[in-house]
Amino acid sequence: MKGYVIVSFIGLLLCNDEGKIIDKALFPKETRVQADKLHLLSRGEVIDEVKELCEKARSLGIDQLVLENPLIAKAFAGYGFHNVKVEAPNDIAKIMRSQLLEIAVRLGYALNEDEAVRMLHEVTYNLSARKIVEAVEKRDLLVAQAVSCLDEIEKVLNILASRLREWYGVHFPELGNLVKDHEDFIKALLVIGHRDNIKKREVLEKLSLIRDKVHKLIESPGTSLGADVLPKDVEIIKEVASITLNLYDLNSKLRRYVDEVMGEVAPNVKELIGPVLGARLISLAGGLERLAKLPASTIQLLGAEKALFRALRTGTKPPKHGIIFQYPEVHKSPKWQRGKIARALAGKIAIAARVDYFTGEYVADELKEDLEKRIKEIKEVYKEPPKKVVERRPKKAKKR
Amino acid sequence: MKVKLYEGMEGVYVVELEDGSSRLATRNLVPSIKVYGEPLIRYEGVEFRVWDAYRSKLAAAFMKGLKTSPLREGLKVLYLGAASGTTCSHVSDIVGHKGRVYGVEFSPRVMREFLERVVKYRKNVMPILADARLPAEYAHMVEEVDIIYQDVAQPYQSKILVDNADFYLKRGGWAFLAIKARSIDVTKEPSEVYRRELEVLKNGGFEIVHVVHLEPYDVDHAMILTRRV
Repeated sequence: MKGYVIVSFIGLLLCNDEGKIIDKALFPKETRVQADKLHLLSRGEVIDEVKELCEKARSLGIDQLVLENPLIAKAFAGYGFHNVKVEAPNDIAKIMRSQLLEIAVRLGYALNEDEAVRMLHEVTYNLSARKIVEAVEKRDLLVAQAVSCLDEIEKVLNILASRLREWYGVHFPELGNLVKDHEDFIKALLVIGHRDNIKKREVLEKLSLIRDKVHKLIESPGTSLGADVLPKDVEIIKEVASITLNLYDLNSKLRRYVDEVMGEVAPNVKELIGPVLGARLISLAGGLERLAKLPASTIQLLGAEKALFRALRTGTKPPKHGIIFQYPEVHKSPKWQRGKIARALAGKIAIAARVDYFTGEYVADELKEDLEKRIKEIKEVYKEPPKKVVERRPKKAKKR
Repeated sequence: MKVKLYEGMEGVYVVELEDGSSRLATRNLVPSIKVYGEPLIRYEGVEFRVWDAYRSKLAAAFMKGLKTSPLREGLKVLYLGAASGTTCSHVSDIVGHKGRVYGVEFSPRVMREFLERVVKYRKNVMPILADARLPAEYAHMVEEVDIIYQDVAQPYQSKILVDNADFYLKRGGWAFLAIKARSIDVTKEPSEVYRRELEVLKNGGFEIVHVVHLEPYDVDHAMILTRRV
């Protein structure tokens, strides 16, 4: 005989094929517990009520159970009920759904319909809250936030450094030309302050990195092209410079953090393409789980959505790579090889992410080796740029 | 200022402001609590929440001439794509304490907002963190409903509606479907997208009652009111 299992906030109901409740295994009447049970159940775990209902079904001579949710069906099969079928939706479950709250009242589970509604509200609230907490507990999302923050700080650093060059340049433009690296420039600025200081011995000692250049500057004939300024002018510039320098510190701290956490959550991805680029991919995909479930072709284009949709819409050439353009072998290679390298790389990233998410083994070295081999192959086979063929006209853009 | 019923439609009101303009509103189920920063209005001892047509596609559909609405006090609604609950809260206002709204939302981040702003205060809203494409996975939390409201920016929108209707919609039940042409297929003309989606609905046992385009409130969006026969 067939038995239909109806799962709801009150517990498990067993119905015959006429929609009559023939037995039940109800949950304790506490919304927190109800939510717990439903949560476990919907992950396919065998809870006490499943065992109870299985036994009751057996004693009633039922040899086949019908459910709607495949994962919950798994729980029943997991307890050893051999004949479990998924029929979704099925008419019996629909009948039960049409009178769910009345049933709760009739079985004495709730005093009246209002109480049943209150319970259902609390149970669904607790269930959702729990799933939200589970989702935010994932550390891959922390790393995604960190890498976004890193990008923002880098943007700010560039802006501030350019500003400082301009600003300090009013007074001492020669230093800007002398020191190309932003961070070194700001350090030098902080040591020097007013330009006359470069003649002082103790200042020169602190400028060990660029001492030779500064010597030349001092010895060169002619005066500085900068304007003379007041001490308070220099002071405020130094203030900005010192905070900017702090940001550089924060920047490297964040990098170390991303490096560390990537080692915990996605060691293969980290080893294959580096911690920061790996974290950017996780951030773009919306989490390691999603990255692991993406096809390689999508990974190849993560970060190039705009170009992709433009291509789809107007029929221009589709993009070859998204954010993985930042991988040195992609952007350093000649144009006609990039797409092929990006494709090979995306394939390996897909594997690395899947291994990281699903098994956690370490396979990055093999992946790297394979990738290097393939890149070498591409570089040999496609050494020369392709001959120009008569270009097909791009599809005419559709009018909207 | 005056508040009156919107052309005899249950639960939907029109507020005539002093400057002569008029806005939609619903009767606030939980007085003094705002959901998304909307103005609250007191009129003859009753509190109303102004319903912004630029933020809610259902309000936009009313503004664009949707004349009939199956929404009534006491009905049960399955709301797919609840997001942070802007429109959902107005539906909750309309169905009232005797009605229920099952709000399905897929993103945990957005669901957090939904819980904080809407579910906490409204006992007639049941939150469901799940994927609307897989109705079997939340069958243990939803009862049979009178209406499905769907706004999930996904391809195969109509199919999602039909699948959910198979599970949850009662015979003769109604559905609202907000169609975002650009989410279905950017490469196709919106009109082509609408036509195809309507086809899927008809094959799924729905008759189309009304289609309204939502410009200028939402570009390339349409609201379809449909009924299962």
